[in-house]
Amino acid sequence: MNGAGERWSRRAVREAAVAYLLLMPALVVFGIFVFYPLVKTAYLGFFTSPPAPNLPAHYVGLSQYRSVLGSSELRDDLWRTVQFVLYTVPVGIVLGIGLATLANQRLAGMQFFRTIYSSTVATSTAVASMIFFTLLNPEVGLFTYWLGKQGGNGVLQSPSLALPAVSVVTIWQNIGFTFILMSAALQSVPDDLLEAARVDGASSWYRFRTVTLPLLSPMIFFAATVGVIGGFQAFGQIDILTQGGPGNHTLVLIYDIYRQAFQYDNYGYAAVQSVALFAILLVLTSVQFRYFQRRVFYARSPHEEVR
Amino acid sequence: MDGDLSPLAGRDAASHLLERATATSVALEGVSKSYGGTAAVRDLTLQAGAGELLVLLGPSGCGKTTALRLVAGLESPSSGIVRIGSDVVNDVDPKDRDVAMVFQSYALYPHLSVARNIEFPLRSRHVPAAERTRLVGDVADSLRLSSLLERKPGQLSGGQRQRVALARAIVRRPKVFLMDEPLSNLDAQLRVDMRAELVELHARLGTTILYVTHDQVEAMTMGERVAVLNDGALQQLDVPAAVHDRPANAFVAGFIGSPPMNILRGRLVGEGDALFVAVPGGRLALGDELARAARRRDLDEVQLGVRPEALRIELGAAAVPVAGLLGTIAATVTLVELVGHEQNVACRLAGSQLVWVRAGAGGAPMRTGEPVVLGVTGPVHLFDPRDGARVEP
Repeated sequence: MNGAGERWSRRAVREAAVAYLLLMPALVVFGIFVFYPLVKTAYLGFFTSPPAPNLPAHYVGLSQYRSVLGSSELRDDLWRTVQFVLYTVPVGIVLGIGLATLANQRLAGMQFFRTIYSSTVATSTAVASMIFFTLLNPEVGLFTYWLGKQGGNGVLQSPSLALPAVSVVTIWQNIGFTFILMSAALQSVPDDLLEAARVDGASSWYRFRTVTLPLLSPMIFFAATVGVIGGFQAFGQIDILTQGGPGNHTLVLIYDIYRQAFQYDNYGYAAVQSVALFAILLVLTSVQFRYFQRRVFYARSPHEEVR
Repeated sequence: MDGDLSPLAGRDAASHLLERATATSVALEGVSKSYGGTAAVRDLTLQAGAGELLVLLGPSGCGKTTALRLVAGLESPSSGIVRIGSDVVNDVDPKDRDVAMVFQSYALYPHLSVARNIEFPLRSRHVPAAERTRLVGDVADSLRLSSLLERKPGQLSGGQRQRVALARAIVRRPKVFLMDEPLSNLDAQLRVDMRAELVELHARLGTTILYVTHDQVEAMTMGERVAVLNDGALQQLDVPAAVHDRPANAFVAGFIGSPPMNILRGRLVGEGDALFVAVPGGRLALGDELARAARRRDLDEVQLGVRPEALRIELGAAAVPVAGLLGTIAATVTLVELVGHEQNVACRLAGSQLVWVRAGAGGAPMRTGEPVVLGVTGPVHLFDPRDGARVEP
């Protein structure tokens, strides 16, 4: 018995050694590019940046964390970010479901529309932003012309319209991805169920509401969390369209971090903001994971094993 | 596995289910349906009488499911008329046809509880809540689903799902039930039980049922009449016994029975007044009426149909024909299948055709390779090889 036990433990040790050896490349890469920057960022938050380059940073302990996390600037950044998310995510999902439903009709030439609807996936944020930047240009922009606002203040220069305008560009850019997600989910709704509902007396709207939509809900939740996380990280369109302006009206948290770190050389301040953003995204991501472990794989096929 | 299997359990609570429906007939009149250039249903004419359980039977791809979907309104016919009662329903939406369908997959809504699944047809028709609760309770009682009402379909066994699908169809008391292979996803024992339940249910409700299956045992045991389909066209529509005993053509003959009827290629040979069918390895005499019918048709080649039950194996090539036989055929045993206490024996004729023989319990054990003589006890059937049609005596 004893001998057997020893053999087992020796084998366990060897297995563990092999396991760590196999994990090593991933651990090294993650360590250098993820864990180290993470720790370093948190560490940077303990220092205020020097007034001029090449001077030593000044250790301030937790006081910078306290002041930044309690600041009205961070609160305003976050509120603008939340507004941006509220503008982009629900509208994007509703439009995505709408387009996917349209493109799910069995009509000739539908492939053409599917390609068109999903095409923004192949567009980079920079390109999309430049297109709209031109269209919204106060002097020569086509949209400006249509809106009859030539010569005046452009939409992107308007304090009240700048954030909605950036949101519209973001919605446009994300619509291809959302469309593809919703199309995939729609196609996985079994025809049988919709036919059963037809025979059961359901109108097309009732079928959509009571059968299709509930079966889309896991994908809607996925699109929502991905959209929220993406919204918190939206940078390119803001950099190209407004640089946070006019005033601070499009200054979302991520753009403020960029500005503090790379325009004002205020690394310590930006580091604390980054830790705050990291914490928010960590919570959102864990919510997403937890939900998906429970919900996505629920019973659909009648042929599946009986539990 | 599901406890008490009597569908009549709780019948008192389900009193409204005992009221027989005013039954409605269903008819397809010259209906064709094609997809692109492919015809799924060809000029199909059949009628299920009011309150009848009519089975549509055929191999996969024969168009039986399409026919059902045409009645449901999930497909619209390329030509012809679909009638429910006296109404032409070609252009009537499925929800307005007052039919209920049980799908092969059951098509239960996975996100809704059993109660909400059963309730669905009532809700979508705006039946008041109190009425809905009562109806769902009644039908759940009668199908032994009361303890499962809060479950989701994913938490049910196959048999339970099947009953939920039935309950959802019954709850609204539609004019017609359409059932598309409802038992094919169940294991063998449960299928036998559910067959009996469905027949009882039909007797109780008195509703017209169109029942699609590829399983001839289901068709023969459940159907009041059976419509045999092949390649989109109706082959025969008759009571089960007639489909078995007087198959309308060689397809039906070769489809029904287990093993199905043997169809042998043969040649008519006249000897004086008598007419024989010569097959490789032997010949057999035709009765007077069959002989006259064959002569009228001016046949030379024929297809001879003999059921495995109408053959008897005599061991040894030199066995003397026994009186009462229509004839004998020499053959060689190639395969012996034991089915319970019976043997199905496959024999090969000189012309390499295969013949199945149903040998009873008491017979001597067969060995493959053994030469035998097959005694034909009759009855036999003749089919015209040009179109497969039965030569009616």
